[in-house]
Amino acid sequence: MNNGDVLVIGAGIAGIEASLLLAGSGRKVYLIEKSSYIGGNVIKYEHVFSNLECATCMVAPKQQELLENEAIELLTLSEVLDVKGSSGNFVVKVRKRARYVDLVNCIGCNTCFDPCPVSLKNEFEEGLGERKAIYIPCAGALPNVPAIDPENCIRFQGKDCQACKEACMFDAINFDEKDEELELKVGAILVATGFNAFNPNKISQYGYGKFGDVYTAFEFERMFASNGPTEGKILLRNGQSPKSVAILHCIGRKEKGYCSAVCCMYSLKFIHYLKDKLPEVKIYELYSDLCIPGKSYQKFYEEMKEKGADIIRAKEFKVIEEGKGMVIKCIVNGKESSFPMDMVILAPAIEPREDASKLAEVLAIPQDEHGFFQEEPYIPIATPREGVFIAGCAQDPKDIQDSVAQSEAAVGRILATL
Amino acid sequence: MEEKIGVYICECGPNIAENVDIGKVINVVSSIPSVEVLERHKLLCSEGGKKFLKQSIQEHGLTRIVIAACSPKQHESTFMRVCEEAGLNPHLFQLVNIREQCAWIIEDKEKATERATRYVRAALRRIPYHQPLEKREIDCNPDVLVIGGGITGIEASLLLAGPDRRVYLVEKTSSLGGKLREFEKLSPSMESTSRLLEQKIRGVEENENIEVYTDGEVKEVLGFLGNFIAVVKTGENEELEIKVGSVAVATGFDLFDPKEVPRYGCGKFDDVYTALEFEKMNAGGKILLKNGQSPKSIAIIHCVGREEKGYCSAVCCAYSLKFARYLKARLPDVKVSNLYSELSVPGKAYQKFYQETKDTGVDFIRAKEIEVEEKAIKYRTEEGKEQNLSADMVILAPAIQPSSDASKLAEMLKISQDGKGFFKEEHEKLGPVSTSMEGIFIAGCAQGPKNVADSLVQAGAVAGKILSSVIPGKKLEPEVRTSEISKALCVGCQTCLEVCAYGAIYFDEIKRVSVVNEILCRGCGNCVASCPSGAISLKHFTATQIHQEVVEALR
Repeated sequence: MNNGDVLVIGAGIAGIEASLLLAGSGRKVYLIEKSSYIGGNVIKYEHVFSNLECATCMVAPKQQELLENEAIELLTLSEVLDVKGSSGNFVVKVRKRARYVDLVNCIGCNTCFDPCPVSLKNEFEEGLGERKAIYIPCAGALPNVPAIDPENCIRFQGKDCQACKEACMFDAINFDEKDEELELKVGAILVATGFNAFNPNKISQYGYGKFGDVYTAFEFERMFASNGPTEGKILLRNGQSPKSVAILHCIGRKEKGYCSAVCCMYSLKFIHYLKDKLPEVKIYELYSDLCIPGKSYQKFYEEMKEKGADIIRAKEFKVIEEGKGMVIKCIVNGKESSFPMDMVILAPAIEPREDASKLAEVLAIPQDEHGFFQEEPYIPIATPREGVFIAGCAQDPKDIQDSVAQSEAAVGRILATL
Repeated sequence: MEEKIGVYICECGPNIAENVDIGKVINVVSSIPSVEVLERHKLLCSEGGKKFLKQSIQEHGLTRIVIAACSPKQHESTFMRVCEEAGLNPHLFQLVNIREQCAWIIEDKEKATERATRYVRAALRRIPYHQPLEKREIDCNPDVLVIGGGITGIEASLLLAGPDRRVYLVEKTSSLGGKLREFEKLSPSMESTSRLLEQKIRGVEENENIEVYTDGEVKEVLGFLGNFIAVVKTGENEELEIKVGSVAVATGFDLFDPKEVPRYGCGKFDDVYTALEFEKMNAGGKILLKNGQSPKSIAIIHCVGREEKGYCSAVCCAYSLKFARYLKARLPDVKVSNLYSELSVPGKAYQKFYQETKDTGVDFIRAKEIEVEEKAIKYRTEEGKEQNLSADMVILAPAIQPSSDASKLAEMLKISQDGKGFFKEEHEKLGPVSTSMEGIFIAGCAQGPKNVADSLVQAGAVAGKILSSVIPGKKLEPEVRTSEISKALCVGCQTCLEVCAYGAIYFDEIKRVSVVNEILCRGCGNCVASCPSGAISLKHFTATQIHQEVVEALR
């Protein structure tokens, strides 16, 4: 007898969509998420191309629905340790790390943050903002319940601190909560673990890490975000507004050996971000090939261009210091050109999660040469292991629309076959 | 019946209590005569709070309640559930947001208290006008009509058909398989198309739950989610009436006609072919010029019609690479040049495919202002230099455009098309295969240009949406906060039909009034705002309810 329950790994947009559909069909869903919040990469973006809708607002109703759905058991701070069995009858061992904050009692009032004596870089903000050892990644994150990070909380380093517990009026903090190991029985597994951004540190020529005002696209997203570290202000490290900004496409494309499919579009979106806040700013998009496939993206390109940006085909770019400022050197139309620039934004390649290999091993599914999970020929959401499915950027770089389509397709196959 | 109204004010821990003087709010509210019960609670959304609320409603036999707490986004559904559990219709409840809209945004406690009091008074003035709205259930047919027998329609049919779900697959040509029948191989795997396609077609033929109508045509589709009636004309010219619960549209694409742009020489010179013509020639096994000789130099021109159509067709770069492979395999010495503007090879597999194709000795030339001449091509390089390239055969990669009958179908199904004529998805990001008509789905190139793998994904997505929502034996629960049109007030101008995004309003030709289909209405309120006669109201947001609330809030 096949078990109809489904395990979904990853609570980004693909995992959320799949969980909601599966629950709607009457299946029990275990949704496990490595971090303390749901929404994945998408909730980091203020606006999405090409409709320029606010991403958090777009996803919030789905997140709310997910949290309220009784057929979906959400396990945050959790990861898969082991999978035994076969399609229809998997036995999955999951480690659920302690949150130390009660999901039911906590009302998300955030009173516990201020008294916490620890302050460190907030990973969610790409290091541009700070957080406490008890924290939610950003305002509006769901579930609206903080987590204590035991690696940085001084109580877990042996100090007698309970500042957060004292501040909490709902008795929601429990330092004694323990990590748990759970055993789940499911019939199918859907992997929707998303992507990482390529680290431009690996290529010195772009000046990332060397110049303060060279940012990755993901850092820039947080800078523009109204719930981000600058509350949406676009500022240089010296606190001033940039007068000229360059966006460099295809960072890491050569190294990775593939086009990441979404960078041209979000780089064009940055013209809207910049012009929205700084109407006078001079913008340069330096690209190699414009990859804007599909029915509505060319129009978006034209709209963005009209807002005022120089969109220039260039190659061999490097960011160097000249005088007191930054200069981009590159080849345009066969000639060496240079562009003095206040701010540089790099559009890095999309790459597999750092722990994709580990998960591939646990699930016994193959990865392709780039480390993405390998799909079956012409069944892009299936793996060679029966009963294990993949969706979203864990399979191949793609945009939100295609990620959602894949997660719906994975649900289609699960419901049709298992 | 005498109304008994309960008012509950939530302290939300310190969140509301610290910045709103709840005692003062209570003082004002307690003097309002209709209030039967007035309570404050530390945290109403907690387990204890919900239990208290339920008991209080039941104990006092309350007929309506007002809760002053947080944003409806946060806990309206929570408290509606408590009402239901307590036996009170959940629409006889109003949530007042005194946290986000008072306590959290007004620093001055006195002002915040004043505002909170106003809002509670306004809700109390509104609540007597609330109507109990009852949930409805409708039967729903699990069967599916799939329009289009290409790879997308076939895939959707195979996933959807089962012992308790019949699929009716209507294909306008005489055989299944669509345009893919002409392709020898698929990029980037260079695997044989026929293996993939034949296996799937056999799957359809062997599946007793799929009814195939080749040479068929969908003449009419009426109804709504769960209950459509379609009229299908079969190959034998019979007209059948089919009942289904959902519809999948997978009608594919047409190629842009390069004759519309004379400079490509299509129709003027002998050896200028469109991509589909070349696929056919290659599948026939021989690549020959019209004069019977083998070509020595071949140019593949990308982006034909891109400027005219205004979008990138997503697949042409990849299949142009595939053509170069076909050519190099059959004619190893032939010179192949790709004339392109932007190389669009997104995704993990295509860059390698490009590189490997290039390595077989295929030229890639970035070119603009391309003009096809007799056995030659004139173009301008990126730097602006004019160049000539000799070519005895030219293959054009024309844009993908919607099928010629897309508009007719869109009208019949009441689904929208985008500016380019493709069927418009419900939401660019979150609803790629849904449409504004519930129960009607789109997939494949009918939704937008895409390759085979992505078309198969969309076919799967349609299956996912249908299998998870239209379940055999399960009833549908439509939205209850719908709009309604007063027959007496409607003048029949039909403005509401134009603004309804869900095709939920139809015009009764006999009575000459607009009528709302309550199953399809999602309660957006567009029609209410657009009605010049004030004939339309939205349940739970009626003019009276809102007016009473506003008047009291401003008093």
